[in-house]
Amino acid sequence: MAKILDVKDLCKTYIIDKRQNNVLKNVNFSVEEGDMVAIMGPSGSGKSTLLYAVSGMDVPTSGTVEFDGKDITKLTANELAEVRLDKMGFIFQQMYMMKNLTILDNIVLPATESKKSNESRKEKEKRAEELMRKLSIIDVADNDINEVSGGQLQRACICRSMINNPKLLFADEPTGALNRTSSMEVMEELVKLNGEGTTIMMVTHDAKIAARCKRVLYIVDGNIKGEYVTPEDENLSTSDKERRLNNWLMDLGW
Amino acid sequence: MYFNILKKDLKRKKSMNVILLIFSILAAMFVSSGLSNVITVMNGTEYYLDKAGIGDYIIITQGGDGGITKTLDESDNVNSYKTENCYWGSIDDIKINGKNIVSKNNNVVLQSVSDNGMVFYNMDNSELTKVNTGEVYVTSGFLANNDAKIDDSVEINYHGIDKTFKIKGEIKDALLGSDMMGNIRFLFSDDDYDEYAKNEELDAFSGTIFNIKSDNVTELVNELSNATNVLFSGDRGMIKLCYVMEMIVAMIVLVLSVVLCIVSFVLLKFVISFTISEEVREIGVMKAIGIKNIKIRSLYITKYFMMAVLGGVIGFFLGIPFGNVLIESVSKKMVLGQDYGIIINVIGAIFVIFIMIGFAYRCTSKIKKYTPVDAIRDGQSGERFGKKSKMSLARSNKNNAFFLALNDIASAPKRFITIILSFTICSVFVFGVVLVTDTMKSDRLIGTFGKKSDIYINDSKRVKLEFLSKEGDKMLDDAIAEMENDLSKLGMPGAVSMEVWYKYPLTFNGKTTVETFQQNKRTDVTVYDYIEGSAPLNENEIAITNEIKNMLGIEIGDTVSIDFGNEKKDCIVVAYFQTMNQLGSVIRLHQNAPTSMTYASAMMAFQVDFDSEVSDEIIRERIDKIKDYYDVTNVFNAAEYCDDCMGVADTMGAVAILLLFITCIVVFLVTVLMERSFISDETSQIALLKAIGFKNSFIIKWQVYRFLIVAVISEAIAIILTYPVTKLWCDPIFSMMGAGNVDYLFRPLSLLVIYPGIILLINLISVLVTSLYTNKITSNDVRNIE
Repeated sequence: MAKILDVKDLCKTYIIDKRQNNVLKNVNFSVEEGDMVAIMGPSGSGKSTLLYAVSGMDVPTSGTVEFDGKDITKLTANELAEVRLDKMGFIFQQMYMMKNLTILDNIVLPATESKKSNESRKEKEKRAEELMRKLSIIDVADNDINEVSGGQLQRACICRSMINNPKLLFADEPTGALNRTSSMEVMEELVKLNGEGTTIMMVTHDAKIAARCKRVLYIVDGNIKGEYVTPEDENLSTSDKERRLNNWLMDLGW
Repeated sequence: MYFNILKKDLKRKKSMNVILLIFSILAAMFVSSGLSNVITVMNGTEYYLDKAGIGDYIIITQGGDGGITKTLDESDNVNSYKTENCYWGSIDDIKINGKNIVSKNNNVVLQSVSDNGMVFYNMDNSELTKVNTGEVYVTSGFLANNDAKIDDSVEINYHGIDKTFKIKGEIKDALLGSDMMGNIRFLFSDDDYDEYAKNEELDAFSGTIFNIKSDNVTELVNELSNATNVLFSGDRGMIKLCYVMEMIVAMIVLVLSVVLCIVSFVLLKFVISFTISEEVREIGVMKAIGIKNIKIRSLYITKYFMMAVLGGVIGFFLGIPFGNVLIESVSKKMVLGQDYGIIINVIGAIFVIFIMIGFAYRCTSKIKKYTPVDAIRDGQSGERFGKKSKMSLARSNKNNAFFLALNDIASAPKRFITIILSFTICSVFVFGVVLVTDTMKSDRLIGTFGKKSDIYINDSKRVKLEFLSKEGDKMLDDAIAEMENDLSKLGMPGAVSMEVWYKYPLTFNGKTTVETFQQNKRTDVTVYDYIEGSAPLNENEIAITNEIKNMLGIEIGDTVSIDFGNEKKDCIVVAYFQTMNQLGSVIRLHQNAPTSMTYASAMMAFQVDFDSEVSDEIIRERIDKIKDYYDVTNVFNAAEYCDDCMGVADTMGAVAILLLFITCIVVFLVTVLMERSFISDETSQIALLKAIGFKNSFIIKWQVYRFLIVAVISEAIAIILTYPVTKLWCDPIFSMMGAGNVDYLFRPLSLLVIYPGIILLINLISVLVTSLYTNKITSNDVRNIE
């Protein structure tokens, strides 16, 4: 499998009141096409900072982030925006949406802005509806964002992140604001998407969620302390996988 | 603890708090200065006339007192009267810096400073009590019109007496200083004046101004009906009306002040509601942890109280110079009553403080209604919100940024109505003034002064003061014949005529009054416009104005007796017409009515109607030829003549520009502050769009389109409303001047292109500059959204 993301010596330093705070310290890792990677770690360890730095939303202090063969740390703001629009997808913990648009319009918006395909608006709308159907939210297509449940809204966010067929989907605690049932439903959809070939990288606190990923990176104090590869044994139940991951995490001081 | 919460709030929500503070400053500034101006202007003329000592009835004569002194001495209807002696001169007698002086009225008054029945004021509103020998004071506006300055020399060559004076200042002249009267008064020292007074040859040019106090002006006017040599007579009401042009400007200031007050309150209400809605979530958190409603409410009210007081104080101080700028053009001519002065400004500022606290109290009232959960949800996900989206992006073929802008407006119209309302109110007002100015500068109003002709010659070298005499008829006939001859020689043959005003006693129902009659002996009276009835067809028929109808109770069909001096005639009223001459108090005579220049009180211009029809360009060429031939300056086409008669179009033009300037400032402030509020409110959405790959240029386009759409809607509404709204506020003003029904000139270039264009441009620049702030919001900010 080809590398879609290759992170080398990534550092991120914040200066607060003249005090230097090294949030990421020479982080190195890579993600291959079709991978599903979870980033775990205690609060304040730098998980989200890492996610935002590698997705081009934040500017790293040093190091390189090669995405799809290009070092995105060297791109201009406009070039980065194009990369994010056409090649990346994002799911946030809070289900941010444009307030005055319907669910369908929120999903279609990035597609209508992208010049990636020659599709007409009608075709883009059709594709959005297909995605919504797939994630079982087609019934709320014309609803306003405040007329749907949190789970539905997060699935709408997934649809939006998928509308431009991204090469890599980033998710920052995508189930963090959802109840257990909704969390599982959303995770199910993400696993399904990964099964269909979408590469996913997510930050999570939840071992249950992380256990559904193919790999888990454990970050502590700005460093990747360990990497866990979920066994592919089909005989292993979900709870077994979760137990094994928990054991590994406890070994690392989780 | 509450103090700490408040301190944190002020620090953390700096942008919104600064916006609120700016709006409170603007509101206090507009309201305090507006209120002060409204009160000043409302009492304006009455206060000024009282202060200057203008009586209940004024008579101005030339060539002797015409028996008026005797009548006044014997009348029971006179409480007291004062007289001023003066000499009537012509603008041709006077040169400044070697050039002939320019004045709307050809006649000037030469007078001593101490021989006064009234008080003159310096430009700083102090009384003028003394003029040194060799010095002169002139009516305000003179220096600007003649491109002169204090200490310039003025040469007066008056019937053989040559004298040079140094101009020491301008005066506010309550009687002759208005635009309507337009006579320049030169005030000398007693010594200088005596040189004229000692010369008996000048007696024919001497005049007297009678300033009479009377409790029964109507009866007094009856008694004075046989007085001769009267150039002007009028009661205090008429003098007041002479300030109608100044009052138009004053009214505009008044309406502007009201407009600014409305705009500030609308905006203030919006910003307070907006900032409180921003804080609903925090209110929910406070409620959730058990803080009582009253404490939460008092916390926010304290914040708004602090803002209101700070804004009120700053606004109060800024309001003083701002108000003075607004009222400057009026205060140049008049002494405005500012007895209440600063107190009114203080009241205005306090009023704004109370209004702000009131708004805050009202807006925080929903704190009570919310449960903690409601409040917390209302902050972002807000289940209370109704359906917003009205349009579909998927089904639209619009550009995305344009769609978002349009959809925002359709989804939250209330928010944008505030802006539309503010822009529309200001624009309607500016456009209205432009409409009036364009009308005044056109020939639309020519019918209210006389007949429309090709050219008007209104120069004192041709329209001579000596025509107003017993020999005047022949002199005028000769002058007209000579002019027709000259025009033929110049290759522009045409008919020359002149409108002349006469003063004759008119008797109706046993009551006699002296009225002004207008006649053009060389123009068929049927060519004029009449608003009711039919034109006089013989010398026994007259047309009257509504003012005469209301004043004397005469109607169409009534018969009045007119004493033409040599004969008395019974005349039937056959029509109503409108005129701005003498503020509408005029009777039109048939061209054959037996008038005589002995009774003439004023002349209008020589009117030239060329034998063949000529284009505007040829008229322009011919005007230049006539100017050269006669060596005169005051030669006009119809539009210029209208402007000359009213003499206020330039002032109105300046007012329109001032208003446009103020409107642009308001548009700029509203746009910048509103846009900044919107950015603050939409930070999360902007960050989200950037996070999912939208470029900054897209965000800017979205923001700019939104304001442009709002501005275009506002301007469109303003353009539609301009004509009816202007008719509403300006028709009563014109009707005070005698023209009750004005057909305003809508110049598409001004009102569809230039003025809306400037406002839109200001809007575009303001929103563009402000929206650049979105550059500071990065995709990474999506992490920091609360």
